[in-house]
Amino acid sequence: MRARFVGRFASGVALLITAAACGGGGSGGSAPPPTPPPPPAAPSADTQRLLEQATFGATSADAVHVQNVGIAAYLTEQMAASPSQYSGFTYTPHTAPSNCQYHAATPTDASSICARDQYSLFHVQRQLFMNALNHPDQLRQRVAFALSQIFVVSGIEIYEAYGMADYQNMLLNDAFGNFRTLLEDVTLSPVMGRYLDMATNDKTDAALGTSPNENYGREVLQLCSIGLYELNPDGSQKLDGSGAPIPTYDQSVVIGFSAVFTGWTYAPLAGAASKWANPINYDGAMLAFDTHHEPGSKTLLDGLTVPAGQSAAQDLKMALDDIFNHPNVAPFIGKQLIQHLVTSNPSPAYIARVSAVFADNGSGVRGDMAAVVKAILTDPEARGDTPAQSNFGHLREPALFITGMLRSLGGQSDGVLPRALVSGMGQPIYTPPSVFNFYPPSFVLPGSQTLAPEFAIDNASTALARANFVNTVIMQGGASPDPTVTGSTGTTINLTALAAAGDSNAIIAQLNQSLMHGSLTSAASAVILAAMNAQSTTDPLAAARTASYLLLTSAQYQVER
Amino acid sequence: MKRRKFLFHAGALAGTAALGQLGVFAARAAPADDYKALVCIFLAGGNDTNNTIVPIDSAGYTNYAQVRGPLALPQAQLLPLQESGGVLRFGFHPGLQGLQNLWAAGNLAVVANVGTLVQPLTKAQYQSSSTPKPATLFSHIDQQHEWQTSISNVSSSTGWGGRLADQFNALNVNAMVPPMISTGGNNLFVTGAASQALVIPTSGSFGLSGFSNSSGDAARRSALASLLSVDRVADLTMAAQDVMSGALSSSATLNPILTATNTTVTQHFTGLTTGFANQLLAIAKVIEAHSALGAKRQVFLASLGSFDTHTNELATQQTLFAQLDPALAAFHGAMTAIGAGSNVTSFTLSDFSRTLAPNTGGGSDHAWGSHHMVIGGAVHGGQVYGVMPTLALGGPDDAGGQGRWIPTIAVDQYAATLATWFGADAAALTTVLPNLSAFSPSSLSFI
Repeated sequence: MRARFVGRFASGVALLITAAACGGGGSGGSAPPPTPPPPPAAPSADTQRLLEQATFGATSADAVHVQNVGIAAYLTEQMAASPSQYSGFTYTPHTAPSNCQYHAATPTDASSICARDQYSLFHVQRQLFMNALNHPDQLRQRVAFALSQIFVVSGIEIYEAYGMADYQNMLLNDAFGNFRTLLEDVTLSPVMGRYLDMATNDKTDAALGTSPNENYGREVLQLCSIGLYELNPDGSQKLDGSGAPIPTYDQSVVIGFSAVFTGWTYAPLAGAASKWANPINYDGAMLAFDTHHEPGSKTLLDGLTVPAGQSAAQDLKMALDDIFNHPNVAPFIGKQLIQHLVTSNPSPAYIARVSAVFADNGSGVRGDMAAVVKAILTDPEARGDTPAQSNFGHLREPALFITGMLRSLGGQSDGVLPRALVSGMGQPIYTPPSVFNFYPPSFVLPGSQTLAPEFAIDNASTALARANFVNTVIMQGGASPDPTVTGSTGTTINLTALAAAGDSNAIIAQLNQSLMHGSLTSAASAVILAAMNAQSTTDPLAAARTASYLLLTSAQYQVER
Repeated sequence: MKRRKFLFHAGALAGTAALGQLGVFAARAAPADDYKALVCIFLAGGNDTNNTIVPIDSAGYTNYAQVRGPLALPQAQLLPLQESGGVLRFGFHPGLQGLQNLWAAGNLAVVANVGTLVQPLTKAQYQSSSTPKPATLFSHIDQQHEWQTSISNVSSSTGWGGRLADQFNALNVNAMVPPMISTGGNNLFVTGAASQALVIPTSGSFGLSGFSNSSGDAARRSALASLLSVDRVADLTMAAQDVMSGALSSSATLNPILTATNTTVTQHFTGLTTGFANQLLAIAKVIEAHSALGAKRQVFLASLGSFDTHTNELATQQTLFAQLDPALAAFHGAMTAIGAGSNVTSFTLSDFSRTLAPNTGGGSDHAWGSHHMVIGGAVHGGQVYGVMPTLALGGPDDAGGQGRWIPTIAVDQYAATLATWFGADAAALTTVLPNLSAFSPSSLSFI
């Protein structure tokens, strides 16, 4: 029964993933001849749940694999898997040449295609979906996608495809490194430099009456590291003697960090001499011109003063160390990663356990992201066959909603349809409306104290867009290949195997396993069964389509618990 | 009974707690044709109002240009704003031609130096640590929330637009759509005690795709609805179910209205293709249909973003005003054309204004008090209300040294003026604006 289920569900892609994962993360080398695998144990609900939290969607093949090797070994494998990369992008000048302009009247002429390929995020967005559907390093991609929503840049300003690809590759590479490295790489990224204006941020010019740009100095504190209020390790706010929260910094500190972050410009273009300021170039980290660095002393967090007269690089190191060592970073970043991966409402104890690992990975190292991610996913609050709390879980964000259905139902996609329709669900990939991401981590359900970040983009319009995406893919046959995209395969889910599972009860049982980790209630099951039995019996796929449509459009599926 | 019907249409969270909170509303007699709408225009990111309304007289402009340096707009390009008695003190940004016309026609008022406050605040009080000040000044999301909630000392899960709409549930009892509608996504301003705004699309159809009249499709459609009322245990699942319930009922009502192409209001938007214009067109269509919808009091929200001009400010603000100005003018024209010009009032909100002092990147940074515009036939326009700040770095209105104006009008007063026009009585105001009593006068005279 179980083996048959796996055979029917495992797409070629899913089998590849298992092979790569079993082979030590696909790192190659000459493997010994395979020995016959042991008979697979039935994947537990907890195994399915782990995959929902750690991947872009649970596949039956992955479930069997995790069940066999165990969660700890699976996480180790995942962290060793070679990083997915956004590939195929090269430098383009910031201003598009005349033969690379979009023409609305002729959207498929060579110039329009050039503009789409190089001066929009079209292919980067497409690759997010392709990598998520096909590449073995699922956990790294999940964490990098979460990081892209904490260290936010947006296609509104970073529309050059190669720039966004570079930035996301950096997040993929740093996902399991040290937070201090991540913080410095983000800070010196020319993409972040452009987005939050640290690039070519100049020192004070008394004659012009200008002072350093405060954008990065403020937001790196507020959004990327410590937040606005002093926190306990369990994420709760520290309170002063009168019961009020304690601000982590004031305007003088913003001014101090803004002054620190002066004197950096883009790397010079290949073959060009470096000067202040170099033209926009997203290849290579930013570099310093000390003559444009604010010379005076700077006030930073908790009274740290950076002495006058240091170089830009010296100031930067002191400032980033100051941020990194602030006690807030552990609960501030830890809680957000929990929210992205596991649940919107982690208990204080859960946050505290993750914070402790951020502070010390057990070997005296602070900021070990691999250890933090492992702590998040193996925490008792995340594990088990059923969650204990009624406020547990999170709404699948649109990108994960799409990849989840495609992976769990053995679908395939070139990313063209997903990247187009995910916008209507409120999540244009890598293009949030501002540095505050698509949704804030603090969003609560109206009239409650229940945290629900993804609900900030769940409304009548986006909820219908989700359902209509399911209609397109499940009921209407998906999307055909796009002739303007090389190697396009369209987007399809073949439900033939599901339909062949047997009668309506058997189909529901399979969907319950693959989509709901066995949590479908008898009440919901009865509703779906009645609709399946009302379908035409002459269409062999009608019942399977009906059941898939109803489950995928349901809140019971869309809220992952 | 009728209230239950309303709750269903609103997609509001069911349950006894929600019903209890909705029990609070203004029991207020109103004529049968009584209709009013407030339209919040949210300028996300912090619009630089130092360059929205600018001193145009010789001495005022000279001082402005000296401080603003590279961000100064040319004096000759400013659009003059004549005040009563032939006084000419200010000009609009050159991109606001349509709004200048509304000013000249008496349909647009400027309210000066409005901002988040816990209580009135002098500079000396600001500099002393003992006087309560708004939490987390200069932070985007927090200042947005304080504008949207009109509460600056503690966080609030409801907005003043939402609380205001809650007061009129009795009047809206026969409405077929929720009293709060947004084209700018979910927003705290339009979140009430037990409901949030219906978010409508600004293009395409509004509803479920893929259902024919076949019996199989009917069964599938019925099952989709049934799944919304089973498994009501987990908080987040129920919330997602409620959003979908509201979407199904409201979209069925509104889809024909939103997809109509040749109505009185659509003609006023001919040639306007921006996303922001489409937002106001969608709102105009809903207002045009308000009688059929049974709506008596509606609160709308539209949003235009990217005002966070830390760099390249002159070009960016010009581009954004090119979207804002014609759309607002078209909207007012459309409202007038359907006879609702005096029943509909639009007004701006934004995170904050920006520093008067320019930064080294061709932009300006997060500041505080800002100037706002109120538009409509009921507005006492062609005037500036309140006191413009002294444009001096480190001067009497500056919270620091870079031109962050300490507000002289609280958000509460701005909101109370609009809420009073909307029909809120003194008792209702205490619920809608709980900190209003800290400020005097409680209401201004711009409408």
